[in-house]
Amino acid sequence: MIQSAYSPQAVEVEVAAISAEPLDVAGLFALAHHPEAGAVVLFSGEVRNHNNGMAVDYLEYEAHESMAIKMIGSIVDDAKKKWPLNIAVAQHRTGKVSVGETAVIVITATAHRSEAYAANEYIIHRIKHEAPIWKCEYFSDGTKLWGGNCNC
Amino acid sequence: MKIQVFAVLKDYFDKEFELGAEVGDIASLQSELVRLNPSAKGILQLCRFAVYDEFVDNDFRIEKNDTICIFPPSSGG
Repeated sequence: MIQSAYSPQAVEVEVAAISAEPLDVAGLFALAHHPEAGAVVLFSGEVRNHNNGMAVDYLEYEAHESMAIKMIGSIVDDAKKKWPLNIAVAQHRTGKVSVGETAVIVITATAHRSEAYAANEYIIHRIKHEAPIWKCEYFSDGTKLWGGNCNC
Repeated sequence: MKIQVFAVLKDYFDKEFELGAEVGDIASLQSELVRLNPSAKGILQLCRFAVYDEFVDNDFRIEKNDTICIFPPSSGG
């Protein structure tokens, strides 16, 4: 890890961790620039049109909202302790999300790219596996399947 | 006590219901739910339980007026 002469200036970007409305990817990215950050990594988890050989129409996300908000906040805080992040933002959708739309977004900004990538991966991995959020896949053949057998 | 279930558990139980049976802790709540719906046994073994927005262990003592939330494995992202 590259040690800077001073601690990074972290900026709190106030973003609701759970949103029932479509995520504003460009708007969130616009908030994530910082004069000390030479690397901004944006991960957008998007709904794809197939899973395990089945055609997917759309997903529906459910969350235990208050606990999910708290947990995403604490995961982001943990990342800030592990890496010298200037900015870290995470937001997850609930409700119906169509193919091509963003279900989850994580943005990390810091001096150098290796730390921005690592912190971003850490945050999305923990959100997927720990936050009380669930997807239900609705397939083109009319069937549906709740997530929980995560193969990621 | 009140029970709230999420995601795939709604295919096995009502989303929210009152449980009249006397269960002292999370482990016995789990057994009672399996008794009510044996087909939920597999999924219940994978679930996490929460009371007042905090995860609780199997030996957590349940009070009469508690609301217990039951979470299947996360599948966000």
